[in-house]
Amino acid sequence: MNRTLLFSFAATLGTSAFAQPMCQPIAARCEAHITANYIPDGQFYRALLQGDESATFDLTLFGGTTYRVAACSGESDGILIFNVYDRSPEHNLLFTNKDQNNAPYWDLAIASTIDVTMEANLDPSKAGSGCAVMLIGFKK
Amino acid sequence: MSAYKQFPKALGIGLTVLLAACGGPGNEGDSQQVDTLAQGSNDQAQVIGLGGKLFSIPSPVQTALAIRKAGLKYQKDLAIPLDKGETLTTKAAQSLALGMYGADLAYVTVHRDGARAIATMQVIERLGSAIGVSNAFDRTLIERFKTNMNNEDSLLRFSGTAFRAADQYLKENQSEDISALVLAGGWIESLYLTISDAAALKDQTMVDRIGEQKNTLSALVGLIAATEKDGNAAALLTSLKELQAEFAAVSSTYIFEKPVTDASAKTTYINSKSTVTIPADKVASITAKVAALRNMILA
Repeated sequence: MNRTLLFSFAATLGTSAFAQPMCQPIAARCEAHITANYIPDGQFYRALLQGDESATFDLTLFGGTTYRVAACSGESDGILIFNVYDRSPEHNLLFTNKDQNNAPYWDLAIASTIDVTMEANLDPSKAGSGCAVMLIGFKK
Repeated sequence: MSAYKQFPKALGIGLTVLLAACGGPGNEGDSQQVDTLAQGSNDQAQVIGLGGKLFSIPSPVQTALAIRKAGLKYQKDLAIPLDKGETLTTKAAQSLALGMYGADLAYVTVHRDGARAIATMQVIERLGSAIGVSNAFDRTLIERFKTNMNNEDSLLRFSGTAFRAADQYLKENQSEDISALVLAGGWIESLYLTISDAAALKDQTMVDRIGEQKNTLSALVGLIAATEKDGNAAALLTSLKELQAEFAAVSSTYIFEKPVTDASAKTTYINSKSTVTIPADKVASITAKVAALRNMILA
């Protein structure tokens, strides 16, 4: 029973005290990429990733809008890879920052409203695990 | 897996946490690849990332801008009465209301109703304090609002940054359920502001915007279902699923076109084409459902 209690304690400690100090500086650095020309979407996307794990989320990007996506991990830019796919059965790749030297931010100019899936994973040559933070802003 | 088998792993996580809090383990530079998580810490990814699945809800600011762009008349009375926030006593209702007032804030701000924006910020400050995110919505923010009253871009950026800070705080403090309710409130109120103007329902761009919410609603249902605790969002979830049934009649088309990237501008132009169609009778039923849902939350 004592071991069960210790497990609960450790797990709780692991998800609160651990995540905050790790993600906080990454979030602060990532915010700098959502510059004054962009309005933050009001949400904070983050996941703790290990190995080849991916974090994904679906979102609707509205036509006529330019979005800025910032993706950060670790102690410097270029560690997090993010891919944007459409949600058609073909799952077409619309953008990957892997083709842009793992750029920490990129703008997506949307012609017509589109449902997409964003996927983030660590560049295995740069990090084995870490906190992944993504932020989104848009131009008015 | 028994608690005994999990014990070494749990101990490892706990020790790593303690080391991290003390600034260790400090092996930077040993390798180009950096491991900033403890080995075998999949439990953390599961809890924090909800199994690697994150959720995104469009910003209420985008809807408010679309309403203004469509040339719809500003109707102050569509926003929630300012004194309503005082009457809500449960954390779930206060969280939903925080998101709803956030959508109202965007609506009144883009229509340059400065007095109402300040008053709405004050309600948001009180609700934020009630649900434990007073760090994001404080007096400083209100003062910044007052001193930038004539700069709409700054106001929208301040509120977006404040809501993001609140979201971050909630997610980092095991309050994903509260975070989800704030997002839900913002989405519901945005949709209400869109559909409550009869003129919007005659504007094809706005009708399309309503239809384009179909997948967001699915994401919202998934988010609430994944984060709900103690049944505090059971009625909301039921209502959202009923609304989802109405949205099932919304159809769409999509034609993929190859994106064009301008690397020097760090921009990719996504040129795929889409259309959305809502049967006329469904516009009416969606309107009724959204109004009923809003009334339920504010009752």
